Amino acid sequence: MKEPRAHVSRRRFLAGAAVGAAALPGVVRPAHAQRKATISFWNGLTGADGKVMDELVSQFADQQGIRIEQQRIPWADLYAKLQVSVPAGEGPDLALIHTVEVPHFASDGVLEVIDDGALSSKGFRGDDYLPSTWQGGLYQGKRYSVPLDVPQHILYINPKLMRAANLMAADGKPKVPGSKDELIAMAKQLTKGDVFGFAIGTINPGKYTWGFQNMLWQNGTNVYAPDLKRSALAEPAAVEVAEFFGAIYAKDKIAPPANASCRDAFIAGKLGLWLAGSWNFTGLREAKVDFTVAPVPKIFKQPTVWTMPHQFAFPKPKAADPAKRDAAWAYLRWMTDHVAEWTLKAGQISASKKSHSDPRITGDPVLRTLLAQAPNWQGGQATPKWVAAENLTRPVIETVYIGQKPGRAAMEDLARQINALPD
Amino acid sequence: MPYLFLVPVLLLFAVFRFYPLLEGLWLSFTNARLGRPAYQWVGLANYARLLDDTRFHASLWNTAVYTVASTLPILALPLVLAVALNRGVAMRTVLRSAFFFPFTLSVVTVGLTWLWLLDPVVGPFNYYVKALGLPAHSFLADPATAMAAIILTTVWWVTGYYLVIYLAGLQDIPRELYEAAALDGATGWKSFWAITLPLLKPVLLFVFVTHIIGSFQIFGQVFVLTQGGPGDATRTVVQHLYETAFQNFFQFGAASAMAWVLFALIAAFSLVQFRLLRGHEEY
Repeated sequence: MKEPRAHVSRRRFLAGAAVGAAALPGVVRPAHAQRKATISFWNGLTGADGKVMDELVSQFADQQGIRIEQQRIPWADLYAKLQVSVPAGEGPDLALIHTVEVPHFASDGVLEVIDDGALSSKGFRGDDYLPSTWQGGLYQGKRYSVPLDVPQHILYINPKLMRAANLMAADGKPKVPGSKDELIAMAKQLTKGDVFGFAIGTINPGKYTWGFQNMLWQNGTNVYAPDLKRSALAEPAAVEVAEFFGAIYAKDKIAPPANASCRDAFIAGKLGLWLAGSWNFTGLREAKVDFTVAPVPKIFKQPTVWTMPHQFAFPKPKAADPAKRDAAWAYLRWMTDHVAEWTLKAGQISASKKSHSDPRITGDPVLRTLLAQAPNWQGGQATPKWVAAENLTRPVIETVYIGQKPGRAAMEDLARQINALPD
Repeated sequence: MPYLFLVPVLLLFAVFRFYPLLEGLWLSFTNARLGRPAYQWVGLANYARLLDDTRFHASLWNTAVYTVASTLPILALPLVLAVALNRGVAMRTVLRSAFFFPFTLSVVTVGLTWLWLLDPVVGPFNYYVKALGLPAHSFLADPATAMAAIILTTVWWVTGYYLVIYLAGLQDIPRELYEAAALDGATGWKSFWAITLPLLKPVLLFVFVTHIIGSFQIFGQVFVLTQGGPGDATRTVVQHLYETAFQNFFQFGAASAMAWVLFALIAAFSLVQFRLLRGHEEY
């Protein structure tokens, strides 16, 4: 049998609640003290790292009571969206960007300058970071971003194919090439039928400009001359790198075709040596792929490793909102304090040195290899035209890769296009 | 008074279509770059620059090649299928749905599907090519076959859409005309040429004009499948325009000039088509 309920109308209930709240000022706190800001956070973490970020953002929200609304957009689209929305006052409170984007966003007034006082008051010090990543947040002497982590290249090796091709060292581990000639010789030994010896890039190896940049840096040159005014790509050192790209596919056929997915080929056991981004290894583990890693080999003059750190930046808001900015700083602080979790789950070495001695990180063979590469790290040049130059490079390097154009002619054409970019 | 009913639509058209169009025209005469607070009038400099832009020339050529090469299969294949389905073949509704299904997919889904199907290392297409004893081929990475692969993808994608339009046109043709023609001894091909095709002329014009306009604006398939490559072998005008505006330093002035050149070309071709195919058959 049901007990009869006393009927309370909605209006009476609300009135009673209001009277009760007014009578208990010590118990019911003012609404503004309870309210925590909700911040918007745009990033391009569209891979497995996005799920890790979701997890961390949710942990942060549970602990701090600050809600973060994420927008996940492929990197290229994210940058176009920032460039359009921030001047219109519709940008996010926080964005994750690559270091090479800092100069053009800074010079176009998309990012807010972070003053040293604010930085140190929140506990961020340059000494806590790896120098190249900390420097990446600066443009023309002003700070625009705070680094998170260091996506970088690493050499993935298929031990089964190496064993089958008799490419094992005396210690029972797969051999690692020490020069361009050695790499090509090993790759030729590995290449058989639909198995390829070597590839650079995740998908579309023909368009993989980050691999091209890595080789340029190994050969002691760069996209722009040191004064950042003219392209250095028509010079012999860059032409030599372009010819290497032409050799691996068009000439020697030791690499997959221009539009093949190198990642799928490696997972399918059809690729012996794969120079690619550190962001791939957690996926390989999940797919239970048998692989080992080695530092990026010295293919040209120096064993430089390509990196492109992620940086947190504050897009310029329409009007200052201290509560939102404080909430964004709180998230940055929390993320920096929990960066070991990010490294372990997303597979990216943190820019902050704090977690580098964490035994869970030093005990992981891949993370240990990535950390050990730090002395050889290099990033893009600090010019607003870097990204545009990279976009122009993509189709040109592909013409060399497929043998449509010789290296010298392609590089001269590319240098001309880059020099024609407007100021 | 009836014109008042048009006001809401005209207002929307003016704000969201006409104003941006004029703004684009104005930008094409400036050195506007998104992010730059001020920009200057540069006259015809952006248009003059297009004369020296070899990548723009390549993209114009590729767009023309795509338009010409894709027109016949996109006009003919859906027509053949529509005529067949209109004759009451078994499982007509199922087949109609099956043919239409690809068109319900977004261009990105279609592109990614074909990217995987045509992958030279792990793709099923090359698996069967090799099973037949033929060498695997990287269709999208070969300048000789990349555009053909894009056309094939597009035909697969849009055939169902045009098929439905053709079917509607075919069902609009009175059956008595075929019966009268049959009494006069005209069946099969003869009735197709003498009745079906002439009476489908308005539908054909619609398909032709919309296809040509769409072809000039092709972007999605190329962007997903080849990103304009290999090299610039499949780079189209809209892709070049998009990259100029949103990837290569946000050059809105230069990109607007490209957009206006493309607009002029589309307008000219559409006018020619309307002139060539105007008129209406009556029986």
